[in-house]
Amino acid sequence: MIWKSTYNEFIKIAAKPRSYIGIGAITLIVGIILMAMKLDGMMYISFITGPFEQSLSFEGNILNGNLMAFIVLQMLIIHVPLLIAFVTGDLISGEGAMGTIRLLLTKPVSRTSILLSKHLAGSAYTFIVLLWMAFMAIVIGKMLFGTGDLMVLKSDGLVILQEQDVAWRFFYGFLVAYLALVMIATLALTLSCFSENSIGPIVSTMGIIILFTIIGTLDVPVFDSIRPFLFTTHMAAWRSFFEDPLPKADIWNSIIILVIHIVGLLGIAIYKFNKKDILS
Amino acid sequence: MRNVIRTLAFIGLLSLSNNLLSQTKNAKQVLNGVYAKMMTAKDYTVMANIKVDLPFVKMFPVNAKIYFKQKDKFKVESKSIAIIPRQGFDQLTRMLTDTTSFDALISGNEKIGANSAIIINVIPSSDTSDLILGKLWIDNKRNIVLKSQLTTKSNGTILTEYNYGKQEIYGLPDYVTFTVDVKKFKIPKSVAADINNSKSKTVDKTKNDKKGKIYLSLSDYQINKGIADATFKK
Repeated sequence: MIWKSTYNEFIKIAAKPRSYIGIGAITLIVGIILMAMKLDGMMYISFITGPFEQSLSFEGNILNGNLMAFIVLQMLIIHVPLLIAFVTGDLISGEGAMGTIRLLLTKPVSRTSILLSKHLAGSAYTFIVLLWMAFMAIVIGKMLFGTGDLMVLKSDGLVILQEQDVAWRFFYGFLVAYLALVMIATLALTLSCFSENSIGPIVSTMGIIILFTIIGTLDVPVFDSIRPFLFTTHMAAWRSFFEDPLPKADIWNSIIILVIHIVGLLGIAIYKFNKKDILS
Repeated sequence: MRNVIRTLAFIGLLSLSNNLLSQTKNAKQVLNGVYAKMMTAKDYTVMANIKVDLPFVKMFPVNAKIYFKQKDKFKVESKSIAIIPRQGFDQLTRMLTDTTSFDALISGNEKIGANSAIIINVIPSSDTSDLILGKLWIDNKRNIVLKSQLTTKSNGTILTEYNYGKQEIYGLPDYVTFTVDVKKFKIPKSVAADINNSKSKTVDKTKNDKKGKIYLSLSDYQINKGIADATFKK
């Protein structure tokens, strides 16, 4: 029953025009990034390799599809959550605003099942968005720039990974990025349970992401103790797959924290949704 | 008495200047010998295994093919990303080509491994020269450079150590170690999108080490087979 309900929820998402805004935005943004890099990418590279350029020379195809995929992933992973929240923040409150939630709850399915169906449908939508981003970044990137070793950009150094050592890192990197985005979808869904309109949960989710990202970015010692507990810190865990040696403990720590967030938020959402007085 | 002292001082100065003059001549002769040996290899290709040990870079050893044609055509071909010193293989040849562009002085002897080397300081004659100072450790008997330290305006200082094998007859090394100065690497987190990297704040003593090494293991030389100029066009 839950699968059928999930299918129905997914159809509802697919029928909404706003669901395509995210995919359209990703297409546009990735397209612009790839075009800009194609035209002026070497300037960007020389800005990074600049400190070495006086005495060292970099040979080989640095500006390749793997680097493009990495740049796109690291640029968009901060912004894609906003696009995800745009859809998942509307899943409960949107139905409340339209007045269809009452009808939905008359079905012989428990409220928990309905909420879980919406969560699964939201996760499926998230997967499609991420898959599209991966396609644009990796496939189109490689078509335009060819392939080669990956120069991983870090603020305090460079890690150069060999071409044959990159594919599995992207695979697991995208899996962890997916987990992070599911966490955002869950947050938006949970906030959606507390609201009667779509704007509130969407803006609240965006606000939380922006706030946590700013706290995570500021190099102020007072935030050092808080930073490990912010989900935004662990949203960047996908980057750890591009380090050598692999910081397995850090990756597992981030996965566990993200899963705890998902389970915890989903628990709150189920509790709230089951207790929710449907007045619309 | 005063005249005797003056005469002795004059003779002393004369002998010193003669000595310097002959030393300069000897130094240039030694360099000419090295240059003549280098010029026996008009062109070559060689397979290189490049291992990089730089303070701010992590990478695996890579393979590359190096093309060189006298006197200054140089190209590295690699499917992988390779890092090599800017003062690569042509700097020494370019410097030695024009012996009038610099003054050379023998400044001593030194033992490098089992070989004894003459140390020659190379000072450019012109103020506008890219070279600021060169120091070469040369095995005079074999006419090969064992070590060189070149300081240029454009590329900083690079210390190069050469080990020779089968291609010693052409003055070509089998193993080269470059020691380079590397500026502290720091790019904005916003550019690297490395927003949560707090590790950079922890003190890592190796990060302050600004000397880096690049090791080149050279094999499969193809010497004087002829390389078209078009090969060097990028």
